[in-house]
Amino acid sequence: MTVYLELTREFNAGALRAVICSGQAAVLHRLAIASKDGDWILREEPAALAHVLGVLARHGARYRFGAPLDVRWMAAGWSAHLEFRRAGLRVRTDFFTRPPRIHPNELAQMWSEQEGRDPPFTSERILAEMKMTDREKDYPFIGELARRMKDPRDRLLYSRSADDLIELARRDQELVRELAARRPLLERIGAGRRALAEAIQLEMLDLMERDARRLAAYREASSAWAELWPSLARELEDLSLPEAHERMTERAWERLPREVRA
Amino acid sequence: MSERFLSEEDLDLAELTWEELLAWWDLWLHQAQSTNELDEHLYSHGVFRVEPGWKLGPEGVRRATYPSRE
Repeated sequence: MTVYLELTREFNAGALRAVICSGQAAVLHRLAIASKDGDWILREEPAALAHVLGVLARHGARYRFGAPLDVRWMAAGWSAHLEFRRAGLRVRTDFFTRPPRIHPNELAQMWSEQEGRDPPFTSERILAEMKMTDREKDYPFIGELARRMKDPRDRLLYSRSADDLIELARRDQELVRELAARRPLLERIGAGRRALAEAIQLEMLDLMERDARRLAAYREASSAWAELWPSLARELEDLSLPEAHERMTERAWERLPREVRA
Repeated sequence: MSERFLSEEDLDLAELTWEELLAWWDLWLHQAQSTNELDEHLYSHGVFRVEPGWKLGPEGVRRATYPSRE
């Protein structure tokens, strides 16, 4: 079993607290093995985060630059990053409680659906939303995920294939009209395969720019924290993880905003 | 024009048994450690892209240089 599945079991001992997402979820959907790092959506509850931090402390993890694993920052969309070594592996663990672009209702449904699952991992739809990043390499995953979605509504909203969209539209024109308000490129289906393929590319560029603006807002909001980090990282080196967490939280209070307009 | 999004090798994951998937996944993670130096200062998830003091450019990651204060 991979270290990321073992960690997931440890995070979820006794209660569901962590759901695997992004790269490792793509493996569990049997799409591709393409990420060395593990990332999880955590329950936005102090006890859940404390449990995860305890597991990481037992593995000898240390903080990388990022937000403290604390609900006050996680609720603002920040991510926390920790790392440890095990049997020749560099194990990187990335966490958030509010993944980008995921509606709270969808997140609540995820917690409900994943209860009792081993391993728990995000659905095709959540994974597709999370892959709408500023990196072009993530978009082929969305295209493949859409082909695995069972609901035609989801396939129309996420497909990145002109051929697939034309075929879906042939089966249900009414549904296409209904969803066009949410995904304007659906209106281009009638314009032909090439026009539709161009619209798919332009949509990707728009999504990439939107995510780049979001990340820029977090970069700007973390500038004072980044300036402090080199000296703080040296202070944390000699501390246990619980001590390092406490020190980080104290220092972050003045330097890392608990609200970001992204 | 092909509309295949991922490679044949990637899509073959669907054919593996659970045990085969775990073994292949674990082997891949170990082999991928060979690139650790290249992404030491980078992030693959979350709201950060690069550690403070480093800059990500078209040619990869390099130490950030600051204008001298005169």
